[in-house]
Amino acid sequence: MTGIFTGFIDWIDARLPIRRAWDTHLGKYYAPKNFNFWYFFGVFALFVLINQLITGIWLTMNYVPSAADAFGSVEYIMRDVPYGWLLRYLHSTGASAFFVVIYLHMFRGLMYGSYKAPRELIWIFGMFIYLALMAEAFLGYVLPWGQMSYWGAQVIVNLFGAIPYVGEDLVQWIRGDYLISGATLNRFFALHVVALPIVILALVFLHILALHEIGSNNPDGVEIKKYKDENGVPLDGIRFHPYYTVHDLVGLSVFLIIFLGIVFFAPELNGYFLEHANFEEANNLKTPEHIAPVWYFTPFYAILRAVTIDLGGVFTSKFMGFIAMISAIVVLFFLPWLDRSPVRSIRYKGLISKIALITFAANFVVLGWLGLKAPTPGRTFLSQLCTVLYFAFFIGLPFWSRLEKTTTPPDRIRMKGLPRRQVLAGLALFLALVILPITAVAAGGGGKCGAVPCDTFEADYDDKASLQAGARTFVNYCMGCHSAKYMRWERMAEDLDIPRDLVMDNMMFTDQKIGDLMYISMDKADAKRWFGAMPPDLTLETRARSPEWVLTFLRSYYLDAERPTGVNNSVFANVGMPHVFMHEQGVAKCNEATDDICTDLSAPLGGELNEAEFEKVTYDLTNFLTYMAEPVAKKRQTIGVYVILFLLILLALTWLLNREYWKEVH
Amino acid sequence: MADEIVNQGRRRVLTTLTSVAGAAGVVGAAVPFIGSWQPSAKAKAAGAPVEVNISKLEPGAMVTVEWRGKPVYIVRRTQEILAMLRDFDMDKLQDPESTNAVQPGYIQADLRAIEGSEEILVLLGLCTHLGCAPSYRPDVGAEDLGGENWLGGFFCRCHGSKFDMAGRVYKGVPAPTNLEIPPYRFVSDSSIVIGEDQEA
Repeated sequence: MTGIFTGFIDWIDARLPIRRAWDTHLGKYYAPKNFNFWYFFGVFALFVLINQLITGIWLTMNYVPSAADAFGSVEYIMRDVPYGWLLRYLHSTGASAFFVVIYLHMFRGLMYGSYKAPRELIWIFGMFIYLALMAEAFLGYVLPWGQMSYWGAQVIVNLFGAIPYVGEDLVQWIRGDYLISGATLNRFFALHVVALPIVILALVFLHILALHEIGSNNPDGVEIKKYKDENGVPLDGIRFHPYYTVHDLVGLSVFLIIFLGIVFFAPELNGYFLEHANFEEANNLKTPEHIAPVWYFTPFYAILRAVTIDLGGVFTSKFMGFIAMISAIVVLFFLPWLDRSPVRSIRYKGLISKIALITFAANFVVLGWLGLKAPTPGRTFLSQLCTVLYFAFFIGLPFWSRLEKTTTPPDRIRMKGLPRRQVLAGLALFLALVILPITAVAAGGGGKCGAVPCDTFEADYDDKASLQAGARTFVNYCMGCHSAKYMRWERMAEDLDIPRDLVMDNMMFTDQKIGDLMYISMDKADAKRWFGAMPPDLTLETRARSPEWVLTFLRSYYLDAERPTGVNNSVFANVGMPHVFMHEQGVAKCNEATDDICTDLSAPLGGELNEAEFEKVTYDLTNFLTYMAEPVAKKRQTIGVYVILFLLILLALTWLLNREYWKEVH
Repeated sequence: MADEIVNQGRRRVLTTLTSVAGAAGVVGAAVPFIGSWQPSAKAKAAGAPVEVNISKLEPGAMVTVEWRGKPVYIVRRTQEILAMLRDFDMDKLQDPESTNAVQPGYIQADLRAIEGSEEILVLLGLCTHLGCAPSYRPDVGAEDLGGENWLGGFFCRCHGSKFDMAGRVYKGVPAPTNLEIPPYRFVSDSSIVIGEDQEA
């Protein structure tokens, strides 16, 4: 048996050098023995890349790249396709995870001078990967065709309009239309799923090939190839396989616990990984109140916004901002030549380098935070300061790296890093530099629930009575005007333990089938005449706004004679929707208003229900809406618990295995 | 690295355990990818059982309804047809007792209907040869189908397969088995549901 197998391998090896490839890249690839945890991130990036490729392929099986159907097809994946929600969360969380590990991987390079000669090409390939990844992420973000997809695309594509003379024509060429439309979506889809993945794979291949030709750098920044034994093996090197394979398995287990923890327990990550406004379908006539790119673009977005100087002529502030943003990325390519230090690793550089690096990293994080927030005068000033600091790092680098006093690196690697006290001081400095400026400009930007504070809300998916009551209220009070067109009656009946006959007889319209989506038959023109706008679909309302917002909104109607409906709302000023719970809640009067919007409501008068009863009605309704926005939420968490338990076992095993291999290594 | 002090046994045990756990993880990870190829809720809703009103179906007539995108034939057989089927010359048929036919267990073997409601015949209207839709030919003695030998039934124009008034396949035609019967049940005398099994 073994003979046949070896024979088969020999046959192939004579025609394709698989043994040589194995030896070059794994079996006899000698990596320095002193890798610390910063060296995990390259492997993580490779893992996330594979995750993105596979889940991406699977998503295309059900995604429909057309302006009419894209948004609906994503909800179809999230609800109707078996495990579709998991594939989508793996892909969306993977996008953010990719940037987390890439940023840390790049910071590692900065710290240990991995970009310095002779590894310049590795760095440049890496930078091209980063660039392609940003393009890939942007294109992918447009595909769900939510409000953020649409307006994000609008803003980013319009950036090219800043280029003098050709800008406007260029923008139109990119869009293929006079606005961001289905034509844009289709070309973005083609680029996202075919063109860029090929480019990224080719670049990753080159990145690794170049790395394995030169050999890995290490935390001490010394060349391990200087000292070899009689067989030509570096004394400070160790075979990648099995030693770093088992080592990386431990890291990967920890990474998976965090990554899948987010996938199963917080896939939106509070709006950072999946933005709330993107749960609303694209509308080319209405910009969301607050638009911001996803977090991984925000440092550059903050730089773009920070530039307000206008030099006249073609050098408008728009163009200057564009230039600044592009430069902030391009300058990274030149790091190998900007760093003139005789040593590679931060361990042996001087104090200026150490402080500069920490400041740079903190500055980058602060810029990222600023890019997420609505601008206030304080924040604009801070982002200008941070932009200056960002570029100051690159301008200053050639000078201080050449002039400062460095210590001599050892001849051979050491197994210990900087003294613990110095590392902790660095970390403290980093945290201070991040937290202090953010706290200084944290205030402002408006509350989450309009003019009044939000009521607290906690969803309870186990309280079937509450969900059923909410469903009843939804059908009786809301579905006269609002549809829930991504939700199926049958699923509601099953999840909420409502008998199918009851749903069919009492909740559905007669011409509908139990498997149908929860459509309504309101005419668009009528809706426009009665309410001034088509009442929105409510399937995803609590994800697009927030459960707290919906709950507070339902409770915050008050009398306002100037409105056509006779009522207004503190949460949603000048809302077109009438007070549907007038009979139950009664109606409040306004005690105090600012800018025509009531900030202090009286106790409601004339309602049939007392306060506690009405609070229960609105809680149940919000609870149902929260369930409907993500029907799989409970199942997701249940599966998540088992996945995490399994990963803990895997971590224990890989940890023991790694210790077994490494205990002989000195 | 002194290989002789390495505890090979311990390494082997740990490697095996980790490999087993890793393999279990890969299998677990494959579940959503494989599972997602199953019909979605939308497909299931579209393929849901169909209720058909048969009160207006005349004796001897046939209606075609769609279930899961396929034609389903419903025929109301007359007493004469049933009598003819009972006296049928079984030598002409490949599988008169429907032993190889795809049909629910509660369907009678010979008349191929639910007991007590023999006049209603429900068939999947796809020839078991290569999937054409056979045409309904109740006209006994049709010249083009063999004159007096033809006792009524279904004829597939694509490749000439013939079936009797119970969807049973004749000998000497390319179709290998009797026409399929989908699951169905009676809601009342005037209404049947295609796609749902009769309760026992």
